[in-house]
Amino acid sequence: MSAARLTVVDTLAVQGVEARPVRLECSVSGGLPGLRLVGLPDAAVREAGERVRAALQRSGFRWPPLRIVVNLAPADVPKVGTGFDLPLALAVLAASSQLEPRHLVGLYAHGELGLDGTLRGVPGLLAVARGARRLGADRLLVPEEGAAVVGGVGGLEVWPAHDLAEAVALLAGTARPRRLPDGRAAVPPDSGPEGPAAGEDLADVRGQPVARRAVEVAAAGGHHLLLVGPPGCGKSMLARRLVTVLPDLGHDQQLEVATIHGIAGGPCAVPSPRPPVRAPQSGISAAALVGGGGAASGRAGEMSLAHHGVLVLDELLETPRPVLDALRQPLEQGRVIIDRARSRVVLPAQVQLVATTNPCPCGMFGHPRRSCTCRPDRVERYRSRLSGPLLDRIDVHVAMRPVPREQLAGAGDGEPSVTVARRVAAARRLAADRQGDALNRDVAWPVVRSTTTTAAYRLLTDGLDALGASARANDRCLRVARSIADLAVSDTVEEDHVAEAMGLRLIGLPE
Amino acid sequence: MTTRTELTGAASIVAAPGTDPDALAVLVTWACGPRRDLDALRRRVRDGRARPGPDDVDLSTRPGAALVAEALEDGGPSGPPADVALRILRMWAGLGVRVCVVGDAAYPRPLAEGWPGLDGPTLLAWRGQPPATAGPGVAIVGSRNASAYGTAVAELLAASVSRAGGRVVSGGAVGIDAAAHAAAMGLPGGTTVVLGCGHAVGYPAAHARDGGLFDRILDDGGTVVSELLPEVAPHPGVIRARNRIVAGLSDLTVVVEGGGRSGALLTAGSAAERGREVLAVPGDILAPGSAAPLRLLAEGARACTGPQDVIALVPGLEQPPAGVAASSNAAGRSTLPAPVLQVLEQAGPRGVATEELVLAHGGSAGELVALLVRARVAGVVEEVAGGVRLRTTRPSVR
Repeated sequence: MSAARLTVVDTLAVQGVEARPVRLECSVSGGLPGLRLVGLPDAAVREAGERVRAALQRSGFRWPPLRIVVNLAPADVPKVGTGFDLPLALAVLAASSQLEPRHLVGLYAHGELGLDGTLRGVPGLLAVARGARRLGADRLLVPEEGAAVVGGVGGLEVWPAHDLAEAVALLAGTARPRRLPDGRAAVPPDSGPEGPAAGEDLADVRGQPVARRAVEVAAAGGHHLLLVGPPGCGKSMLARRLVTVLPDLGHDQQLEVATIHGIAGGPCAVPSPRPPVRAPQSGISAAALVGGGGAASGRAGEMSLAHHGVLVLDELLETPRPVLDALRQPLEQGRVIIDRARSRVVLPAQVQLVATTNPCPCGMFGHPRRSCTCRPDRVERYRSRLSGPLLDRIDVHVAMRPVPREQLAGAGDGEPSVTVARRVAAARRLAADRQGDALNRDVAWPVVRSTTTTAAYRLLTDGLDALGASARANDRCLRVARSIADLAVSDTVEEDHVAEAMGLRLIGLPE
Repeated sequence: MTTRTELTGAASIVAAPGTDPDALAVLVTWACGPRRDLDALRRRVRDGRARPGPDDVDLSTRPGAALVAEALEDGGPSGPPADVALRILRMWAGLGVRVCVVGDAAYPRPLAEGWPGLDGPTLLAWRGQPPATAGPGVAIVGSRNASAYGTAVAELLAASVSRAGGRVVSGGAVGIDAAAHAAAMGLPGGTTVVLGCGHAVGYPAAHARDGGLFDRILDDGGTVVSELLPEVAPHPGVIRARNRIVAGLSDLTVVVEGGGRSGALLTAGSAAERGREVLAVPGDILAPGSAAPLRLLAEGARACTGPQDVIALVPGLEQPPAGVAASSNAAGRSTLPAPVLQVLEQAGPRGVATEELVLAHGGSAGELVALLVRARVAGVVEEVAGGVRLRTTRPSVR
């Protein structure tokens, strides 16, 4: 072979929650035989050479006794993981004339190779598929294992392959592509330890009429919710059940959620209509909560795993202050921005926060039968940790008290989730007719203000004044009032809606 | 080098009407000397008297200035103590503090009783209204670590005493003290704080900050007093010592709550020493916070079973005509549905959980929350630790 041969194979690298195009340029030439990978590969990518060489030989191909240089371009995209095995194998095959380069045109390939030539699934296949469609690919060649998740991505031909030999046969046209397994059928019955266990229902919660109402209102407008109460009053139970009254996710939202979970190894990697729930323990670190820990590609945190769903934070005041501070900006913007020396990663994080906390360090403040052993100034200091910017962003606050034992023993007295969910869905539809996709939590202020009657607005400003609330409460209260009006199927926000909204923010928290 | 004229000039700014600035200057300078304190004046007068006996110095014939001149005249103020004294007098002036000496017209008579045999403070420094203003005083004291029950009792008693025209005196600490002070504001009697530190020390910080409890009390026409030089820090000794002033300024002392070693016991002891009535609020015998009142009850103190016990024992306090408290809010209360109002009335000052009101109301939780907010804006109900209760006091100044 006189001149060096050059072939290219397209693939994608996952960064944050997106797949960015990466092109493998492979050049073979005479010289000392060997493989050299250039262009910012990480450790797993550098090892790809060894896997590909073994896989090629086991699959009946030959490893060319030539000098092979593979460049992963562009160099500034971090390449992480084992998904580059398959495109690397195809590049070597094409460069050594074992595969015709024309078969690689319009193709994107992604997947890990075993030493025996088997193709293995990799995290983030859905992100890769969506990226490939966005880039205008004709075909995407992926491992059969895990290919089910990409079934929902339309406008793209996806070829699942069991091993390298089948992949080459598909490309050469000597084998027919198989139908993709149905993604919906592959949904595991239990969606993981963090998800709502099967059978969790709002009807399980006894008593607590005010807190249940708060959950309904919060669900209707996507408002963040804070439940305050002594241990054992059912606040965590209620917090975990908020998701059961939320409406199903739309198609695009399902894909977004599954993409994020696919990359991070979360439980909702297969598109599913139910919103995800994440309930990290209170000792969580800031990096694990908002993301960005570890790899250069920007790992999604709990906030991103709860994207389009619910983030439950138990014992909010036991969470260290820096972690609480890290929560603020993503809550406000609906996304996490991680700036690294070489890259900036934006992770979506539109979550509904449901937080619970004890009212004081010992937890018994306001308990009807047991007495609080905290000094009043300690109670104040405990609560002041929550005050300010974070508390301002939580629209609905409810104080809960333990339910009397006789009520606990009786039959469930509350409405089931289905009934409440129906009202929430109706309220969301009303809001959608008015303002599109934006939730009342996020919608532009004039939209809320313009549907408020003069009398209702006067009650809001006078009332908050009389109660000594800050001017910032004004904005948040009116948004909650808008949700209450939506639940009451009212086009305008009336006085009663405003009064209830003020109560859901202020009642039950003695100053 | 500070001259006596300078000192007297500075003292004349802070001296209360009827207080001799020159005597005040001498006293403060003396107290600023090495190994001396303000109480030395009292000890000198007590010990220097010709014959020991039960009869006390008649302060009406021997005002503070004369005592100071007799007891402390040893060369006149000069040297480093005089420099310190000048600084202290100016500091008081900057804080808007007025000062008087025992025996002066501005010095409260109940506190001067038994002096120097009983240890009424030599000097009294205050902000706000003069502490000698007429009207009976009632001390309502208890621990900082207050239970919901103790807080509710303190609020109930303080509001009733103040409404009946009595001053509520307490130590300005967090817990029971703060609850009593806050509940007494906005009503005829008002309230007096006795600090356990000097006026220039912000303690407790939560109450001494701008717009805190002390500022609100001063705005309300109350008094904040201290027997100490402005920079004295609140160490346990002076905090305990202020309890005798709380008792001395009051005709009656109520101990609401406190542990076995509570400072409230010292207040009660001082009151008993002065021959004044001590009442104790019966508490839960299993709660550590009930130790002090229960011990007082065991030792023969009267039980405080309600505000009427206090009002009956203090001459000059008058129970307002029945219905006045209720009628002030009658219009507002009528906005609440009858079943809800009934539950609230039955619950009394302890309050009732919102959930129970939902049951009583019979409607949806949302409707009840809206009702309660309107009632709260109208000043009919207020939040307590256990839920919601009817408001009995006028809305306090914020």
